[in-house]
Amino acid sequence: MISPVKVWRHQKEIASYFGKEGKIISWTLIRVPPEGFINEAPYPIVLVKLSDKRRIIAQLIDWQKENLRIGQKVKAVYRRTRQPDSEGVIPYGIKFTPL
Amino acid sequence: MKIAVLGASTTKFGELWDQSPRVLAKKAVFEAISKSGLGTRDIEAIFVGNMLSGILGGQENLGPLFADELGIFCPAFKIEGACASGGLAAHNAINSILGGQYKTVAVLGIEKMTDHKPEEVASGLMAAGADEEREAGATFVSLYALMARAHMEAYGTTEREMAAVSVKNHFHASLNERAQFNKLVSLEQVLSSPKIADPLKLMDCSPVSDGASAIVISHDRFTGKVIDPVWIVASSVATDTLALSQREDLTSLRAVRLAAENAYKAAGVSPSDVDVAEVHDCFSIAEIIACEDLGFFGRGKAAREIANGKTKLGKGRPVINPSGGLKACGHPVGATGVKQIVEIATQLRGEADERQVKKAKIGLTHNVGGSGAIAVIHILRS
Amino acid sequence: MVGIVSYGAYIPKGRIKIAEIARVWGKSPEEITRSLGIEEKAIASFDEDAATMAVEAAWQAIRRAKIPATSLEAVYIGSESHPYAVNPTSTIVGETLGLGNDYLSADLEFACKAGSAGMQVVWGLIESKKIKLGLAVGSDSSQAKPHDALEFTAGAGAAAYVLGINEKDWIAKIIDFVSFSSDTPDFWRRDGISYPTHSGRFTGEPAYFCHVLAATQKLLQKTKLTPSDFDHCVFHMPNGKFPREVAARIGFSPKQLEMSLIVDKLGNPYSASSLLGLAAVLDQAKPEKRIFFCSYGSGAGSDAFIFETTRELVKRRESGKSIGKLMAEKRYISYVEYLKQTRKL
Repeated sequence: MISPVKVWRHQKEIASYFGKEGKIISWTLIRVPPEGFINEAPYPIVLVKLSDKRRIIAQLIDWQKENLRIGQKVKAVYRRTRQPDSEGVIPYGIKFTPL
Repeated sequence: MKIAVLGASTTKFGELWDQSPRVLAKKAVFEAISKSGLGTRDIEAIFVGNMLSGILGGQENLGPLFADELGIFCPAFKIEGACASGGLAAHNAINSILGGQYKTVAVLGIEKMTDHKPEEVASGLMAAGADEEREAGATFVSLYALMARAHMEAYGTTEREMAAVSVKNHFHASLNERAQFNKLVSLEQVLSSPKIADPLKLMDCSPVSDGASAIVISHDRFTGKVIDPVWIVASSVATDTLALSQREDLTSLRAVRLAAENAYKAAGVSPSDVDVAEVHDCFSIAEIIACEDLGFFGRGKAAREIANGKTKLGKGRPVINPSGGLKACGHPVGATGVKQIVEIATQLRGEADERQVKKAKIGLTHNVGGSGAIAVIHILRS
Repeated sequence: MVGIVSYGAYIPKGRIKIAEIARVWGKSPEEITRSLGIEEKAIASFDEDAATMAVEAAWQAIRRAKIPATSLEAVYIGSESHPYAVNPTSTIVGETLGLGNDYLSADLEFACKAGSAGMQVVWGLIESKKIKLGLAVGSDSSQAKPHDALEFTAGAGAAAYVLGINEKDWIAKIIDFVSFSSDTPDFWRRDGISYPTHSGRFTGEPAYFCHVLAATQKLLQKTKLTPSDFDHCVFHMPNGKFPREVAARIGFSPKQLEMSLIVDKLGNPYSASSLLGLAAVLDQAKPEKRIFFCSYGSGAGSDAFIFETTRELVKRRESGKSIGKLMAEKRYISYVEYLKQTRKL
């Protein structure tokens, strides 16, 4: 089970990323996912540099092939990050959507 | 600094279903001790490099576990630094001798990865990364894929050039009976292998492997059955940010550049003096970046040079990964750093049989943990 | 008096055509599309839920209002798909949007009218001068059992409303509201069960029509107004037919209803349905126009409201994304992908 205390601490951090815009610095499309993400593959992960200069790696959602390029503008959105088990706390976090 | 490598041995790497970690450890360590001409009583400490014993197998406390298994109840330590665990174990072993605490110690790098499902192993390996990477559903392949993409963008490195690294390493491994893979592969085979995380394909990636490697090192020359030792003349470690997103440059590993700079200085050599090197090709792009970070080729130039055979046995210099590297020799994570030292020591002794690099006098090992968070470089000379 | 200060909405990008679902189950696509009056519906992605959509909608409303999040003193979120049975969606939204700790909050459930019930609660807190600004949200990522009739209509979306005490901030005045409530078993979901159950044709006359008509008549009588006194009307939209029929029966014209009809292209996002319809009207209505609004929640009840737009509306709505724009941002998915997204596979 994902630690609820860790989820709680993390929630405070992600609030500062929500809604921020940025650009893709690098990207890849994961076709062989790790445990916990099996049903989601293939999915892209992107390294984004935000307008406030912070950098972060997260998933890209609502994407088309042409969005997978260095320089693509993106915006941070709020989503479930990992699928929780039936009893655990639901982890929410940041993903990016192409602008 | 001059630390003698008195004995070195590695087990075969591969899917060793019927061999437990205890069996593998005994094989590697006892053979290394035997080659050193010493006995188990001479070993004053054991340094164990390993990453996944707890994460996958629920077993920690590896120091006493292996001291017990080997019947050598001496001081024993587990050293962990992700895929650099082996190199870091060696570094700490060396320091313990330099510090005067022990005279002769054994270093064991060991990993058992095939007891678990690939998805579990992939998740386990992500313990080397940062929270945000795990949260994003990243795998190690994907982190190096991000670096590959940046390298391609910055320098025009191609997928074909990356594939050439795997082809060369398989050629080297075909001459190494302890390697996981003994078959040659072609560029087309690599390029048409299934994509794992674009642009990296299955054959750009090192495999999941089991294996153990061991060395016996000392600051003294021992009398007895010892043949000329090989000397470790530099052992340097450096760190960089844990998360890939915080690195200044995705196309180079600063930890490697720092550790290499210190190692070259300590050894009094420059990159052009290196005859043979074992580098951390967890993915084909990693070898390209390593060759640049180690100063063998200029920034952005390594891919082309490697593809032209400049690091291939019989053709180039320095010869990179004569063992087959992580890709073709195999990558039992904790063992690799020690195996690299075993290979270089073997090369410098002139005992590398068909994969011998002619007149190899100065060798280098390059072992990286995580996506570049930590790097450990050793320089050896005969 | 209390007024609407701002509004925000979120519609997920996934769309599935009703014809696609009909084909899978061997039904006539034309027949189903026609009888339900729905062409396609919005689907939440596997990583979305009522909380994530409420966050996005509320953020839109806060940004549009150009107020600091900490100025909100209440958060009430209505849904029938709260991510937790016990653990408030309201505080997940509050925390993520940086509201601080000084706000009143609770989650609401009343089938499809939980969002409008939230508006009544926040209105009460403001009218009694307990607070100055409050947030009410209706958000749902509705689940429907495969092969059930609801599969054609159950959609996803969220709408958020900021209500306030200061007249100069209002984009619409809340003139009055009433509710008509009863215990009617037309549609329900037991605790621990994934999908709701409904009682077929019983969901029509004795449920939807009875309550909407009753609440509407009550409010019109109370305020001594008739349908012709209104410029626009909004009704809960469980399908394309019911809102059109109830509007006609009350005496509203198709023209008065048309701005609010989001159901044809979105399906029924439950607690967000009537609130999104209202947002669509607010996106386009001229100032000083009167809007009649009536939600419906199974179980059952209706909340009828009368709103009056202000001059401030024209300026304020420019700084946010319109429903029309949100509806246009879509990506069609197949039935198999729909099963994956809604976590049935």
